[in-house]
Amino acid sequence: MRDETTAGPGGPETTAREILRVEGVTKRFGGQVAVDGLDLALAEGEFVTLLGPSGCGKSTTLRMLGGFERPDEGRIVLGGRDVTRLPPERRSVNMVFQDYALFPHMSVRRNIAFGLELKGMGRRAIAARVEELAAFLELTPLLDRRPDQLSGGQRQRVALARALAPDPAVLLLDEPLGALDAKLRSQVQAELKAIQRRTSKTFVFVTHDQDEALTMSDRIVVMNEGRVEQDGTPEDLYFRPASRFVAEFVGETNLIAGRVVGRPSADRFEMDWDGLRVLGRPSRLASPSEGERIDASLRLERVRVSAARPTTRNAFPGRIVGRTFKGSRTELRLSVGDGERVHLRAYAETGRSAGPSDDAVWIGWDEEDLVGLRG
Amino acid sequence: MTRTTRILMGAAYWAFVVYVFVPLILMVMMGFKDSRFIGFPINEWTLRWYGEVLRDAEMMGAIGYSAVIAVLATAASLFVGTWIAVLLARGGFWGRPVILGLTLLPALIPGIISAIAFRIYARQLGIEPGMGAIVWAHAVHNVPFVALVVGARLSTLPGSHVEAARDLGADPLVAFMRVTLPYLGPALMGAGVFCLLLSFDDFVRSYFLGGYEPTLPVLIFALLRSGMSPEINAVSTVVLVLTAVLGLWAERSMRRMDGGGR
Repeated sequence: MRDETTAGPGGPETTAREILRVEGVTKRFGGQVAVDGLDLALAEGEFVTLLGPSGCGKSTTLRMLGGFERPDEGRIVLGGRDVTRLPPERRSVNMVFQDYALFPHMSVRRNIAFGLELKGMGRRAIAARVEELAAFLELTPLLDRRPDQLSGGQRQRVALARALAPDPAVLLLDEPLGALDAKLRSQVQAELKAIQRRTSKTFVFVTHDQDEALTMSDRIVVMNEGRVEQDGTPEDLYFRPASRFVAEFVGETNLIAGRVVGRPSADRFEMDWDGLRVLGRPSRLASPSEGERIDASLRLERVRVSAARPTTRNAFPGRIVGRTFKGSRTELRLSVGDGERVHLRAYAETGRSAGPSDDAVWIGWDEEDLVGLRG
Repeated sequence: MTRTTRILMGAAYWAFVVYVFVPLILMVMMGFKDSRFIGFPINEWTLRWYGEVLRDAEMMGAIGYSAVIAVLATAASLFVGTWIAVLLARGGFWGRPVILGLTLLPALIPGIISAIAFRIYARQLGIEPGMGAIVWAHAVHNVPFVALVVGARLSTLPGSHVEAARDLGADPLVAFMRVTLPYLGPALMGAGVFCLLLSFDDFVRSYFLGGYEPTLPVLIFALLRSGMSPEINAVSTVVLVLTAVLGLWAERSMRRMDGGGR
């Protein structure tokens, strides 16, 4: 909060101290490469999410940070100290497990105190710390219950309290919201983010749920097949995806395949899309040359559908050929140009009546919104 | 299921129950009969034979001796059986099937064979017949049951529990003592009671490896050779009731702990 006046967005990140660094880490299981030459740097107080489909190596990465798997190659440096070969009990890192892993034979109080007892803390200090955490996470009335007498959300908070208790340098969270129902999940997402802000702890969060990642993270690392696909802020990933994989995995998008026919300027390209000439912007990580076949991503909500011709340079007549009701908004299926082959999807505000299909409309978008992708 | 088959199955079940329990009931009744002659009719009832048992120093000594042996053998088999179960749970290492097979073998070898083998082996090693030899043989015989029961429970322990303990600063031994062992509690309890009963009940191994002091089954066997007596019925009834109570109590508390452990 104190930085707010002096530092703009991105300011604190560049000045904050590095707490964790992963250098060229590779992990194989049998012949299978789970993590492939991963590099990663975490600043103190950051909320970083490892996002990817199952089998992308995100959980293995987290387990290596926790000390449960040993990398075959590379180093893990925590607070300036090489911890690559240290067992879990000798790292200042704690984990919130997917199934919470609360000790069933201990009360909530004993569960939270577990890590403190092993640190050799005095009885008084332990009691005080447990009370403090319980108050912070609203667990005070539950302290004498056993884990099987708690709801899913309460268990999740106990697991969080237990992991926070020894005051680790980095907190690891392995899909801790997976077991909660949808409504509770969005509430817990907000709570978790608030807790992270208030403790200013470094969180490494693993999930396959892109909504969760976009909601909570300062930074998202998208992983695919053991490698980093893209590393950036949620906005970066959403509006400036580097690859087709990221564009498809994060949010809903139109993928447009075509051939580059011109480069009017360094940050513009012109593409032939089944006979239509469209203008877009290459992503930071790709600069397509003329004649190259590329994919481009156009977010559904950036497609403008109007009755009058739009002022954008990308402007085509078309028709609405389908509507899907999605609650607060309606997904439109559009046929672009005069042919039947070229389609786009777009969002429209939901009106009280669905409106007729097959309306003639104008379709347009800003050049900025059509992002040319790498490979 | 038709009505007839249901009646038939019910009848078969009750026939089985009668078959199992009638001999026991007869034995218990004879312990209360006021006559040395075993058989019907029973004209008068008495508790005299129970008093005789209590006054019989040899009988009481044998009960105590058997109990001490059972406790020691159980402690040894729990320790070794749990050790093996933990070792086998790790899985994936070379020779695991062989170790598993060797672990279960003592439970499958006929009692008389293993008793003779132990007798020979003990003599070779210079182990005197007596309490030590009996405890040793009982423990070996009981280890497979402990390993199986504890192994089954261990396989349901989520790996994350031990990892969470390690994560919070426990070394492997502390994690085992504070997380794995409490989780195994119900299994250790059940296996322990089972071992106690097996050991208390054992005749063959105790007979072959025993010294001058008889265990209870060995003593009863010796007494039988001089003829059946109501005193034997009385002590058998005591043993029957005690073991049944112990077994049922263990079963109940195991289930309760299990419920609370989830």
